[in-house]
Amino acid sequence: MEESGSVDSVESLCSSTTTRSDRFSGTRVSDTEPRSKGKAIEKVYKDPSKGELPLLPEELVQDSAKDVTYICPFIGPVRGSLTVTNYRLFFRCTDREPVFGLDLPLGALSRVEKIGAATSRGDVSYGLVCKDMRNLRFVHKEPEDSLKKSVFEVLIKFAFPVSNNMSLFAFEYKQVFPENGWKVYDPLAEYKRQGLPNESWRISKVNDHYELCDSYPAALFVPVTITDEELRRVFSFRAKGRIPVLSWIHPESQAAVVRASQPMVGQNGRRCKEDEKLLQAIMDANAQSHKLFIFDARPSVNAAANKMKGGGYESEDAYQNAELVFLDIHNIHVMRESLRKLKEVVYPNIEESHWLSNLESTHWLEHIKLILAGALRIADKVESGKTSVVVHCSDGWDRTPQLTSLALIMLDSHYRTIRGFQILLEKEWLSFGHRFQQRVGHGDRNHTDADRSPIFLQFIDCVWQMTRQFPAAFEFNEYFLITILDHLYSCLFGTFLCNSEQQRLKEEVPKRTVSLWSFVNSQLEEFVNPLYVHYPSHVLFPTVGIRHLQLWVTYYIRWNPRMRPQEPVHQRYKELLAKRAELQKRVEELQREAANRTASSSSERAGSPTRSITPVQTFV
Amino acid sequence: PTPGQTALPTYHGDLSPHPYLSPREIVVNEANFVRKCISAESCQDDLWGKLVCTNFKVSFITHNSLPRQCTHRLLGEHDIPLACVEQVVTVNDVKGKQKILGSNQKLKFNPTELILYCKDFRIIRFRFDEAGPESAKKVCLAIAHYSHPADPQLLFGFEYVGKRYHGSTACTRVVCSGERMNGIDPGGGMQTTLFDCSSDWDREIKRTGASEWRVCTINQGYFISPSLPEFFVVPVSLADQDLKQYACFFYSQRIPLWCWNHSSGSALVRMSNISDPQQQRKVEQRISSAITKSHPLRSDVFKSDLDKNLPNIQDIQAALLKLRQICVIDPFEESEEKWLSSLESSRWMEYVRTFLRHAVEVVYMLESRNVPVILLEKEDRDLSCVISCLVQLMCDPHCRSLHGFQGLIQKEWVMAGHRFLDRCNHLKKNDKEESPVFLLFLDCVWQLWNQYPAAFEFTEVYLTVLGDSMWVPIFSTFLFNCPRQRAENSRWDWSQQFSLKDQTLFNNPLYVGKIATCVQNGTVKTFTHRRSKKNYSSTLRGLPSALRNGSLGPNDTLARRNSLVLRLRSDLSQVREQQETPSERFIRDFFSRPVDLQGLLLPQLLPSHLSVWKLYFLRWVPEAQIPQGGPITAFHKLSVLTDEIDMLQNQLRQYKGAGGTPNNLHAEHSKMYFKATSTPHQPPAPPEYLSSSFPFSPVGNLCRPGILGSPLSKFLNGAKIWLSTETLANETI
Repeated sequence: MEESGSVDSVESLCSSTTTRSDRFSGTRVSDTEPRSKGKAIEKVYKDPSKGELPLLPEELVQDSAKDVTYICPFIGPVRGSLTVTNYRLFFRCTDREPVFGLDLPLGALSRVEKIGAATSRGDVSYGLVCKDMRNLRFVHKEPEDSLKKSVFEVLIKFAFPVSNNMSLFAFEYKQVFPENGWKVYDPLAEYKRQGLPNESWRISKVNDHYELCDSYPAALFVPVTITDEELRRVFSFRAKGRIPVLSWIHPESQAAVVRASQPMVGQNGRRCKEDEKLLQAIMDANAQSHKLFIFDARPSVNAAANKMKGGGYESEDAYQNAELVFLDIHNIHVMRESLRKLKEVVYPNIEESHWLSNLESTHWLEHIKLILAGALRIADKVESGKTSVVVHCSDGWDRTPQLTSLALIMLDSHYRTIRGFQILLEKEWLSFGHRFQQRVGHGDRNHTDADRSPIFLQFIDCVWQMTRQFPAAFEFNEYFLITILDHLYSCLFGTFLCNSEQQRLKEEVPKRTVSLWSFVNSQLEEFVNPLYVHYPSHVLFPTVGIRHLQLWVTYYIRWNPRMRPQEPVHQRYKELLAKRAELQKRVEELQREAANRTASSSSERAGSPTRSITPVQTFV
Repeated sequence: PTPGQTALPTYHGDLSPHPYLSPREIVVNEANFVRKCISAESCQDDLWGKLVCTNFKVSFITHNSLPRQCTHRLLGEHDIPLACVEQVVTVNDVKGKQKILGSNQKLKFNPTELILYCKDFRIIRFRFDEAGPESAKKVCLAIAHYSHPADPQLLFGFEYVGKRYHGSTACTRVVCSGERMNGIDPGGGMQTTLFDCSSDWDREIKRTGASEWRVCTINQGYFISPSLPEFFVVPVSLADQDLKQYACFFYSQRIPLWCWNHSSGSALVRMSNISDPQQQRKVEQRISSAITKSHPLRSDVFKSDLDKNLPNIQDIQAALLKLRQICVIDPFEESEEKWLSSLESSRWMEYVRTFLRHAVEVVYMLESRNVPVILLEKEDRDLSCVISCLVQLMCDPHCRSLHGFQGLIQKEWVMAGHRFLDRCNHLKKNDKEESPVFLLFLDCVWQLWNQYPAAFEFTEVYLTVLGDSMWVPIFSTFLFNCPRQRAENSRWDWSQQFSLKDQTLFNNPLYVGKIATCVQNGTVKTFTHRRSKKNYSSTLRGLPSALRNGSLGPNDTLARRNSLVLRLRSDLSQVREQQETPSERFIRDFFSRPVDLQGLLLPQLLPSHLSVWKLYFLRWVPEAQIPQGGPITAFHKLSVLTDEIDMLQNQLRQYKGAGGTPNNLHAEHSKMYFKATSTPHQPPAPPEYLSSSFPFSPVGNLCRPGILGSPLSKFLNGAKIWLSTETLANETI
């Protein structure tokens, strides 16, 4: 079984997502149409009802049990068999129509526990809390032989490999894709695209071996007027050594987006000459403006409270010409709590009469709004005010990447393409050390870890909100975003493993695992928004009012069978594209015919009488 | 086409110092040097001009006019029809006085400011700092007076309707060319069915295959009931004699009306209460058995009591007032935090959902149980209109075409006697009778449209404009309480309000389905035939299985046929059935199948499925506008693509035909507002002026983006908008 190979495996990567099954139905109907040839990977989905498991390369069945009952919150108990592999949990019930199945990567589990004691019949109940907004419950007979392990004990072992001194499945998985996602991001190429280095900004090798800051990337862009020696002093003044470095530069105004962590001001108001000089140099690098905006993502109260712990914020005395703005975004604990409440509201069932006020009480959309509003202010200062900005929170690895990457999406249309978005994630999130391992808790049993928080999910949600407001401005579709989130948890790809660039190199993640982008870029057509139009210098200013934000129901409520995802506009658009292509072909044929006839009869009429229409790539 | 035709906004560049007047429109009063405020605070970008009150509208004539996106033929950029004015508030900020003005009232102070609260959710403010105090006062009193007409004769519609049909040539010309729009060629005679003659009903009977029903003419001349149409449809087994006898038992002699037949033969009937309790059982019995006799299977009738199950008209009105408060009156920023819970407590969305759900229940009875349904409502003139229309929209694809939809409104609202005059409160006499039942209906339609955009021939712009037409009372369609009051036949003639180009905004580029509807020149096809018809868009479908939580892809729809399955299945089906009512089961089955856009459509009704109809409710709020964004940007791309396809098809036709020069006529015939560009290899850029409010614009109402900066800058500066009407009411002297 483990040899099932690449043919099925690509499909099963996505079987946990719902949009996927939607797509299946689409392909099934269009079977009569000639399927597009030359696809990198042929897709076949094995029929699980025939008892075959669609296994990935290196995926091994660890245990299975018959007579397990899944207590489905929507249709009641379902009896079937449960299989646990080193990658996934697979529950199948063939006794009903339609065949019922559950296919879930173990990485999505945050907690597995026995609920209550065994009943008189020897049934034990297990609760599975998932990171992807659902809870599952199974009932199972304890094996009479006390030496034999229950399937759930096996499940716990493989669900939390890190806690059991085993490696994550990503390190086993050896799928070969035509594209190599690890080559998507080349920092120097990306900075070069932005026109860097230039007369004001240089690359510094001071952190080449991650000595000064282990959570920063090796390549750092700083103003030319600052020496590496001065930078070294700044390292000690900024929390965790995360000094102000360039993230993005405006191609025309040269206004820069700079990111950092909080200054270690402390209660005594410590100052650092070099830090002040650095910020002054950042301002001077932009001739258009004689001001610098410092956006502190935190509420001012929290920023002030950080002084007790040695942190704080830039005082206006020390940093002249700089204006400090607090963006009122709450910390990781508040966000975690908000998502927990949201899950209560949406799963399993929605309380019909108080849906909106329940949603409001989670504050989820309010947090989304504050993040988007903050990013909007940053983008507005850079674009309209032509002013450089410094963005930081406490450590500069949670709220800061949320803000900078959203502002960059607004400012730079490149980041709205599929590859550009991948580069953005690689750069702002991965290379600058968003602590994915800690925030997601890959393979870690400790579900109460206070370091877990849905910061990245929140960011993707913000991006989704923007795609709703600007349906033609993004090259990728909703399915792309959901796929990213599913594989944030799945531990199938190496992309979101570890906490920093340094750790990933140390673990040889790029060598030993497959990148999510290898998978994505090998079948791009799945992720393309057909409505996309590329406008090179189009800045997006979303409207951040709650009135225009909506709950991402196709993600958060996707497990509810009454929630039917649909993208009829995209579907229809693709159909229309196909129709246009077909008509175009026929017109061209007739034109050729007419031209031949004209040529043979040596008529005077030359050239094509028709207006040509832009050939557009058609993905159907 | 020339590049200039590519979606340039029409400029309202009329610089004449006089208002444009429709025939029979006269100027009542005017004031010069008036300032129209473009934001809550006075600022340098305010507009200066003349405020004019006519017997039809409030007009503001200014020289610095702004680009306008959708030009109304009768109303300029700054014009408000009097019927649209909800409340006239005068303010003297020096003395700190405010007064809400009604008809024939006195004003003891000289107003420095006039605020007009409009029924279409606009709020407009004028200042009189530089105007003569007397003329300011006079124009305010004139506006207050003329927006509260004492009797229907003073409504402008009466003046206008008369004029129109006695032929201004300019008008006639417009009308003729207008009929070519929306894909209808003038010779083909595809017009909105008015149901004002016997043959219209005959065709509807044939179209729906209601062979056991007949047109009844006993109300010709409105001798039986003034609120019923002259022609309506009854079971064949009921003789005119019987009907005449029963009429007196029904509320205002409203004999039960046939609405529509389901393809299975089950009829949808609407009925008012029987006023005489002694006769109630007998009459009801007779009517029911007649309906049963007309059913192919002689099924018993199901009665659906709307008064018991649905909110009443006062509830609906209260909900709209609250909704308006939170949409446009409460300060945008301050109300943000409570937006969702305020929306919930307005109950508007809940009512929309209740109506949709009730309609689904009725559809279930017709579709699945195959029984005839009677909609019972005391007067049969409000809630039944909503439910009967929604049921037909869900079941009958004909109703989702533009003309089918207009015919539906004509049949179930206009002819069935919905009291538009009272519900719109055009005379502003009886506030208790005012209720936005029609708007609620449009919102329900919008929800369906939003879930199945490709199933409807029209756009949300069309629905919005249709809602607005209630406040432009030059068409008798929405002006009267019953067909009898309508002096003339009303016609669905959009060319009176909009140019041909602007009317193309009604055409939905996503629409899947035959433009040609069921009845053409008397030939009849029942839509049951069409239901089975496949078109190339049948791939538009949802999930194969409703079991979201464990779908196995395509295989789960494949039935497994072996004995083991059958034996075990009974256990599981028990589990399912104890939780599910049959109608829930019906709905779940529907969603587990692929959707046929030309067949039955049921809305998804979890509260999370419904959205706020932003285009209607938030279009005037500058802060709520998404510059260069919103669904319109997708609409733009779709339109261009559809237009290209159209063009290619034309070319093909020409090649196949005489082989003349292609594409000459294309631009003229194009049904799309946004057309394909003539420059190859360059994707059509969305025009700069597109915003989520398009084709409406908050510009000139509250703020003026291009100058003040985008709404963004307002957001960043923490803008405030308006005093609430309640505050104003409290402070009134």
